[in-house]
Amino acid sequence: MSVITVLIVLAGITFWKIANDPPVTTPVEFTAPFVFGRFQIPKDNPYTYESVKLGRRLFYDPLLSGNNEISCASCHKQELAFTDGLPRAIGASKRALPFNSMSLSNLMWGPRHFFWNGRVASLEQQALLPIQHVDEMDQDLDELMEELKQDDRYPVLFRNAYGRITPENTAKALASFQRSLISANSKYDKYLRGEISLSDQEEYGRKLFMAHPDTKVSLRGGNCIDCHSQFLTAGFATGFDGFSNNGLDDDEHLQDGLYAFTGNDAHRGLFKVPTLRNIAVTAPYMHDGRFASLEQVLEHYNSGIKMSQTLSPLIIEADNREKVDIQSVSLNLTETEMKAIIAFLHTLTDEDFLTNEDFSDPFNRGSDHD
Amino acid sequence: MTKTIPLLTTLLLAAVVAGITWQLQSPKSLTLRFYPYMGEQVLVFNDLRYQNPGGPGKFLIRDLQLFISNIHLIGKKQTYRQPDSYHLLRFDNDKGYFDIVLKDVALNEYDRIELGIGVDPDANGSIVFSGDLDPNGRMAWNWQVGYKFLLLEGRLTSNEKSIPLVYHIGFDESYTRVTVPLANDSGFFDQITTLKVDFSKLFMQETPVNMEQVSTVKFDPDNVRLIAQAFPDLLSIN
Ligand code: HEC
Ligand code: HEC
Repeated sequence: MSVITVLIVLAGITFWKIANDPPVTTPVEFTAPFVFGRFQIPKDNPYTYESVKLGRRLFYDPLLSGNNEISCASCHKQELAFTDGLPRAIGASKRALPFNSMSLSNLMWGPRHFFWNGRVASLEQQALLPIQHVDEMDQDLDELMEELKQDDRYPVLFRNAYGRITPENTAKALASFQRSLISANSKYDKYLRGEISLSDQEEYGRKLFMAHPDTKVSLRGGNCIDCHSQFLTAGFATGFDGFSNNGLDDDEHLQDGLYAFTGNDAHRGLFKVPTLRNIAVTAPYMHDGRFASLEQVLEHYNSGIKMSQTLSPLIIEADNREKVDIQSVSLNLTETEMKAIIAFLHTLTDEDFLTNEDFSDPFNRGSDHD
Repeated sequence: MTKTIPLLTTLLLAAVVAGITWQLQSPKSLTLRFYPYMGEQVLVFNDLRYQNPGGPGKFLIRDLQLFISNIHLIGKKQTYRQPDSYHLLRFDNDKGYFDIVLKDVALNEYDRIELGIGVDPDANGSIVFSGDLDPNGRMAWNWQVGYKFLLLEGRLTSNEKSIPLVYHIGFDESYTRVTVPLANDSGFFDQITTLKVDFSKLFMQETPVNMEQVSTVKFDPDNVRLIAQAFPDLLSIN
């Protein structure tokens, strides 16, 4: 009698354990350029094949939206380096959002703050926000969980990756897929690996990009590296060092930016310094998509800077001509120099990234329906 | 009965002595706590309160970071070298100071702290990820030039004019090793040593720096030397 009881209890425990134990998963083995440096993956969301597979399907699935018409990929398209080509993104409400869609690449590196104003601290936290936002995907999370449970594929995908279908696991899977979006095979990467050399114009542009001008030693430069790091070309990872005011607006028109999150006056008008990888395919530019071309961006940095209280001192001070009047801000680059910087920016385009099948829409392919 | 009392006392004493010895011998942690100063006062960010040392106007400091590297503890018999010893000091946090913790060191053995201001030429001339070194970080110039050792940015206001201040001080020649005494407490507990980093020293030199004239220092070797010559006096025990 007592033996049977023990057996039943044991069986119960085993069943409970099977149902609740995390599934057996395979960590993703990946390579990234040494020069990218340390990367961050949260301990409670291991980077596994199973989670990436699930995340990829979720990312491309319009089921995630209230009207079943919009997926993450509606605003983050692979061929545009996961942007949408619009000045300001448009979602479920058909109203333009306040912001330009952001490129998604190399998200394991760079600032630990996401969105233009840095208001979330992880990809896991970020993922559920667009799903619920009325202007973006306008979906109720409980409803979404029901829909995922009814689906004929998600229950297995979730079980293999995390166990249960929950909002938290949905967010984790989306985060994992986005971590897999590594862009590291541009012309610039090949140059860094010593495989090719850049053209004279590109090399000239690279040098200008990487230098802060110093007239005292006749060093010419575009000062881009003061904010866009040399290899990742994104903002700096430490604290809020990856946020800056690059002179888009004067005091009167200055927007909140990082201030909306920190409440610190010194952060008013500071925005996330975005990665410049694949920048040639992500027009229009800046947080509100105000510039249609890289030529306009360079014009801005060269002679369109607007003064404000929080404008970066490095921008005010950077000048390729001996400063005569400190109140007029201009880089004073030549036409040739601006063209060279643009040529360098084009070396950041990574065709492999834009066409990599692993990042593409799984609904378009037969192979996924195994 | 009369015999057991002395025996117990002896045992107890032995236990206490053993305990103390053990506590003294066991490795401790040493915290080096750096406080930013401007002269006699703790440094305050984003406040137009500091007098231009060599000219008219007042200035404020908006950003301030300093590399410290290769911390050694030196004693008569041995030297402890902290591994991966690259620390980016910054003070724009709530605490207002920066801690470097050396774990598991036999504090009793050492009487001096030696450390480098800046990044040693080997690390400065290569791409390594060690400690706080980050070639994609704000202190990196680019891989041909190396790191800024000191970053001080702000603004000088003089006669209604606003002048940006940018001091980016680097170069191998500026790397400076300094020594400060390690006051030995009882050696009984983990220890905190507080150090004062007096940034006013950078400008309060024999001939005080006129920030209106030297408002930016980046690559001009003479200007770099002018500021970096204050590095040996930057640190003191508080
Ligand atoms: C309606 C268009 C739209 C949809 C749908 C959308 N996004 Fe975005 N995404 C944006 C915009 C616009 C931003 C910038 C928003 C901001 O800063 O407030 C952004 C920013 C992001 C960022 C921040 C990147 C960075 O570097 O800080 C991530 C990550 C992201 N989206 C992922 C997703 C995921 C995952 C989904 C699906 C669950 C999704 N997005 C759905 C438009 C969209
Ligand atoms: C003081 C810091 C700073 C400097 C210097 C700087 N940038 Fe930027 N850059 C930013 C910030 C911040 C943004 C985002 C601004 C916004 O949208 O509000 C940005 C945005 C951009 C964008 C648009 C990216 C996108 O996805 O929309 C491009 C292109 C760009 N920068 C190129 C350059 C180039 C080229 C240089 C050098 C000539 C340069 N930047 C110098 C901080 C800087």
